[in-house]
Amino acid sequence: MALLEVRGLHKVYGHATKAVPALRGVDLSVERGTTVAIVGESGCGKTTLGRVVVGLQPPTSGDVLLDGEPIGILSRSRSARGRVQMVFQHPDTSLNPRFRAGATVREPRRLLKGGASREIDSKVDEILKVVGLGPAYKNRRPRELSGGQQQRIAIARALMSEPELVVLDEPTASLDQSVRGRVISLLREIQESSGVTYLLISHDLITVRRIADSVAVMYLGRVVEFADTATLFESPQHPYTKALLAAAPSLDPAKRVQRVVLPGETPNPAELPEGCAFQDRCPLVHDRCRVEPPQLELAAPGHLVECFAVPTAPIHAIPAVVR
Amino acid sequence: MLNVKGLDVGVVGSPHLLLRDVSFDVGAGEIVGIVGESGSGKTMASLAVMGLLPNSLELRGGSIALEGRELVDAARKGDRPSASISMIFQQPRSALNPTMRAGRQVARALELNQGLSRSNASREAITMLEKVGIAGPERVARAYPHQLSGGMCQRVLIAMAMACRPRVLIADEPTTSLDVTIQAQIFDLIRALVADTGCGVLFITHDLAAIAEMADRVVVMYGGQVMETAGVNVLQGAAEHPYTRYLLEAVDREVDHRVVDVGVNFALTGCRFSHRCAHAHDACNEFPPLYRIGEDHASACVLHREGSRGAA
Repeated sequence: MALLEVRGLHKVYGHATKAVPALRGVDLSVERGTTVAIVGESGCGKTTLGRVVVGLQPPTSGDVLLDGEPIGILSRSRSARGRVQMVFQHPDTSLNPRFRAGATVREPRRLLKGGASREIDSKVDEILKVVGLGPAYKNRRPRELSGGQQQRIAIARALMSEPELVVLDEPTASLDQSVRGRVISLLREIQESSGVTYLLISHDLITVRRIADSVAVMYLGRVVEFADTATLFESPQHPYTKALLAAAPSLDPAKRVQRVVLPGETPNPAELPEGCAFQDRCPLVHDRCRVEPPQLELAAPGHLVECFAVPTAPIHAIPAVVR
Repeated sequence: MLNVKGLDVGVVGSPHLLLRDVSFDVGAGEIVGIVGESGSGKTMASLAVMGLLPNSLELRGGSIALEGRELVDAARKGDRPSASISMIFQQPRSALNPTMRAGRQVARALELNQGLSRSNASREAITMLEKVGIAGPERVARAYPHQLSGGMCQRVLIAMAMACRPRVLIADEPTTSLDVTIQAQIFDLIRALVADTGCGVLFITHDLAAIAEMADRVVVMYGGQVMETAGVNVLQGAAEHPYTRYLLEAVDREVDHRVVDVGVNFALTGCRFSHRCAHAHDACNEFPPLYRIGEDHASACVLHREGSRGAA
């Protein structure tokens, strides 16, 4: 069974008269010990998905299951809450400025697991070592740490309750390129040694390519494509994925040749057109896209695409084995 | 067209220099990229050129010349040296006046810089908004910044910058806060404006790939010092300076995460990269000038001092 199973997840912000749908039916499963990345541009719902998964926000409808148990119930019990943890985008604002690093890392263990003070202290030292910081860093406050060091503390804090799933929300977005590489290597090493599962939320395709086993591309609250990382980067099928990958600047001039610049901007989610949400920017749009919303269907084993222009078979027509 | 030479900037009352001996040139119709990590001084260099240094900082020496005219005296006094240089910023929404409609902000730039009457300026503003690729310019002109997307705000800001008919446009991380598909649109727009008006662009970013796409020439900075300057093709494996190589490798390489980053931190004497550099030795305690190492290619590293090439 997959560790994390997301089924038909909807999240609507605001009231009936001014409803803004952030998630419009998301299905996703994450196997234990793997990394699934959610990529997409601002407003696609990737951060909302992360927040619903860790239980920071309730879904409007749909289920989030951890090991088959609904997470809404999990988040009410302390001992279970430690099973899912989160690393936030901006380490400078997600760390308490008044707490020294040691206290920040100690806190979740004390609250979620308890135990003797001495045991917790030795666990703090152990985890700080894992993230590459010596015990001397315990006495530093966030402002005395660089951005990369702050993010290491935030990662250490998330690991203190020995979680099974860690949601990483743009963990490298605020870091310089040279520091980014180290945090990526660190996250991978932690996964190899502890078997933790990551749900990585990012718009940084370089980070995604280096950590993720598979990738879900989101556009306006829907997963429009899902595949393993190599397949997604090498043969993307959905026109949005193609444009997104091509739009990223590249050091390699050969990669810039066939760029299609998408026209326009992401439409307002409160006033979505009928049919496919991508229709107004899509180079392949045809009549059917304007009346009927496409569904996520299988284009190849393990490769799901939500587009009429891509030859697919409906998921239910495929035996579960090849999904 | 824009020639910056030997620029020194320091904190008032302190002997240390934040920018040391910074030099670069921007030609007509040329896009020059300044690349560096946070704290490299890339933004400060652009503020110095604009005459927008904060009061706590002072220009200690060097020259900033636009089409042969010296601007540094005006800049030192805190005057904006010239309307011929315009700037666009990283956070377009906060660079716009939140209480003024977008069209009025463009129109004011036209009134102040081209002496147009209020009604002519308002009409011209619509044309400018259309030129920067805004569909429905009348609607956008009536909108306040908070009603516009980040990409749209950046287009408005570009329209304001172009209203001054600049000879040089400084673009400080113009797309960092935007999505990649919108970034691609803004890059196209800047390229089109350069082709159309022949203005030079100083393009500041931390993203080497963006420089590789946009710029004709690249200036690599670290710790307020120019490390290497060359044609942009140098990023295709021809970089010579240890810092440039380090940056290029950082993009894609497996790195040892146990080496804890030192953050914004640089040596104040000698080469500013020396304490992070794998090639550092005694000679690095002296500040290195830019050594010419090829056609339009210079590196500030003692490894490239005449006669010592190949010794590395």
